[in-house]
Amino acid sequence: MIVKLNHLQGKAAATSAQDVIGTVYTLLEEGHIEKAQFARLQIELDWIQYKQNFREVVIATHGYNEQGQQVPIMDVHVDTRQVVPGCLRAALLRALAHSNAPEPQNQDRLPLEQFQSMRTSIVWEFNKLYWSRLKDWEMATGKGYEQALPGGQSDGHNPEAIADSVTDFWTLLRDLESKNQLPPEIYLLEIGVGTGTRCGMWLTQFRGVDQERGTDYYPKLRVLLGDYSLATLDMSRPAVEEHADLCSFLVLDAMNPLKTLSFLRHKIMQVHTTNVYDNLPDEEVVRRDGKLYFVQVRAYVPMAEVVRLSTEFDIPPDKLRGTVSRLLSGSTDFLGDPERGVAFWMQLWNAMRLEERLVLVEDLPDFPFPQGLDAGKVEDVLKEAPSDFRFHLSSGALASFLNTLPLLHPRGYLQVQDIFVTDLDQYRLGFYGPGKLDGSLLNWVNGALLKEVAERAGYNVRFAPFHYRKGSRTSVLYTTRRE
Amino acid sequence: MVGSYAMPGWLERLKTEYFARRISRHDLDEIYDAAAKAAIKDQEIAGLDIVTDGEPRRDNMVDYFVERLPGVQIDRSSKKFYYDFYDSVVQGKLPMASLGLVPDFNFLQTFTERQTKICITGPHCLSKRIRNQYYPSEEALATDIAKVMNLELKALVKAGAKYIQIDEPYYSGFPEDLPWCVKVLNTMVEGVDAKIAVHICYGNRYGKPSWEGSYRYLFPTIMEAKVHQLTLEFARRGGEDLDLFKEFNTNFELGVGVIDVKTDDIETPEMVADRIQKALKVLPPERIFILPDCGLFHLPRDVAFAKLKAMVEGTRIVRKELGR
Repeated sequence: MIVKLNHLQGKAAATSAQDVIGTVYTLLEEGHIEKAQFARLQIELDWIQYKQNFREVVIATHGYNEQGQQVPIMDVHVDTRQVVPGCLRAALLRALAHSNAPEPQNQDRLPLEQFQSMRTSIVWEFNKLYWSRLKDWEMATGKGYEQALPGGQSDGHNPEAIADSVTDFWTLLRDLESKNQLPPEIYLLEIGVGTGTRCGMWLTQFRGVDQERGTDYYPKLRVLLGDYSLATLDMSRPAVEEHADLCSFLVLDAMNPLKTLSFLRHKIMQVHTTNVYDNLPDEEVVRRDGKLYFVQVRAYVPMAEVVRLSTEFDIPPDKLRGTVSRLLSGSTDFLGDPERGVAFWMQLWNAMRLEERLVLVEDLPDFPFPQGLDAGKVEDVLKEAPSDFRFHLSSGALASFLNTLPLLHPRGYLQVQDIFVTDLDQYRLGFYGPGKLDGSLLNWVNGALLKEVAERAGYNVRFAPFHYRKGSRTSVLYTTRRE
Repeated sequence: MVGSYAMPGWLERLKTEYFARRISRHDLDEIYDAAAKAAIKDQEIAGLDIVTDGEPRRDNMVDYFVERLPGVQIDRSSKKFYYDFYDSVVQGKLPMASLGLVPDFNFLQTFTERQTKICITGPHCLSKRIRNQYYPSEEALATDIAKVMNLELKALVKAGAKYIQIDEPYYSGFPEDLPWCVKVLNTMVEGVDAKIAVHICYGNRYGKPSWEGSYRYLFPTIMEAKVHQLTLEFARRGGEDLDLFKEFNTNFELGVGVIDVKTDDIETPEMVADRIQKALKVLPPERIFILPDCGLFHLPRDVAFAKLKAMVEGTRIVRKELGR
């Protein structure tokens, strides 16, 4: 048995670890765990970074081959922060019993889908619902979504960061002008505009610098504010009102901006995005004993929660799945009262969990990797990676990244403010998602993988810590053209 | 063809395998031969009149020549991926010696009955990539590269080459160099008895442009170049710069780029015909050659093949209209 303590913080770690080890030994002696199983067992403690997440206190994850037969690996994950004193043994037994029981006998939960890649899981439909019905959620909680962010506001609004960004951009334009290469129209794109505050602040700052330095770049700007939610775009308008003549609002798919903007291929000077990549569909891979396992997930609601929701909202348990489908179709008045609809949505989201299984990737070259990745690139990345670890493929972020790069002018750049794992070694110390942030999802972005993919697409990528807010975990990704 | 054909993913992997010393040079050469034959065949089936070997042997447009230039030192560990550029340096006067391109040309001649073209990266481009620690200026380095290449061009002509293209994409990035670039170009082609084309684009590194602008910077300086043809990109950039050939009375033939190599979207024959018609408004048909904007290196093979077919079909439409 291997116990991974890497994620534990502080002195309490030793006690937590002892409790878990002691309990597992007891279960071994009592025959709840087989010796062969025990020999291959890996236990990870506190591997979930976010306290608001999709996991039970203890989960046991089995490995399967592509034919669906179990292979002899098993991971147990324990969130010691949530263990109620005296309940660890029961939680461990429950997780083991569930993972060992044949499917029809599992009566402790209501699955909302089949096992599948995280990137296609129903949880992303909830994420989409959140952004399209943001006002309803905010009204119910009585607070804006930015208040859920660390520090209570978006790092995108930081005045110093905006001032530096404006200066860098003005310098680029000056350089192009000195070479007679300044385009007549200077395109900028922001993907995921949020409240529009950043864009408004940036434009006001740029106008000031432009006037102060006597250049005439501001009127040449063509600013595209893109978001997949029309509601968010509407919300962003007031913040850029004084620059309205320069701004266009576009509904676009953050994972494929090129689809909407192909007419601007090689023309956009700056693309900016803040906290978008961390909210795009993702999936995970585990490397164990030299083999790769793809993580499949299944969303479910624990049966106790099913009973509670059923009673509170007067929905028969066998109708709950149908009610979820109606909710995801975008309406909140399906319970006859919009407020009740939102309350159901919030409580359901809070109760929702993900169970998982590991599926052996037997044929790497034919594995359906996300856009931009193939077996060769993954192998290259893994050469420098820890031998036993779990990482994000960051599928949505990769797609967005690769479908944005062709829009860049030869001197243009992409700037991504987000939470990045910049080195695969970081996965030794934390897992970095997924977490729940209000009604949305949150995953750190595998920057190391992004870097590899970017290099093959003709860009170097560097990450700079966001130094404008003390304690910020944000980094800023900058692209530069690769020769 | 401007030069390169699609680089297959499997060949990219095998090139990298070679760097990792997992396959031998002998095996790699056999693989290159097979890839070149396939590229030639694809061009023939698409219906091209003039074909190249598709350039599968070249990791990129620079390294193939830097490796062969006598007197240039290369750090072979400087590449992570085959497409990267070698770190190369010149620390003394370049000796006059062969680049060894004749076998490539002979191979091409052996496997096609069509007319052929061989493409060579020009001295200006190479001088931008080689670190100069000896010559007093880039121009001086480029001039010596041109002298070495002049010998090579003559060797190619002796072997039967009738159509040679010199690739100089960096002109567009460094328009201020153009006056000395033309002198260097003339040194390179002096006494070479073949049709000489100069291909000038806006870059195609990783399948994207390196610069933007107008070909206006070429004129009138380029008119002093002792070459027969300018091969320029018009498909991606639009045909506005064609008017320069009305404005300046040149004797050049024009290689008209009618296929955008920076997108996988496949042109229709009608689009191609339309682009050719625009060129015919400024030059007579006998001075026009139809080509893609640049090499097809970054396109998937099926896309590259479909684009070549569209180019040929579009050309046929125009030929029919012209009664040829």
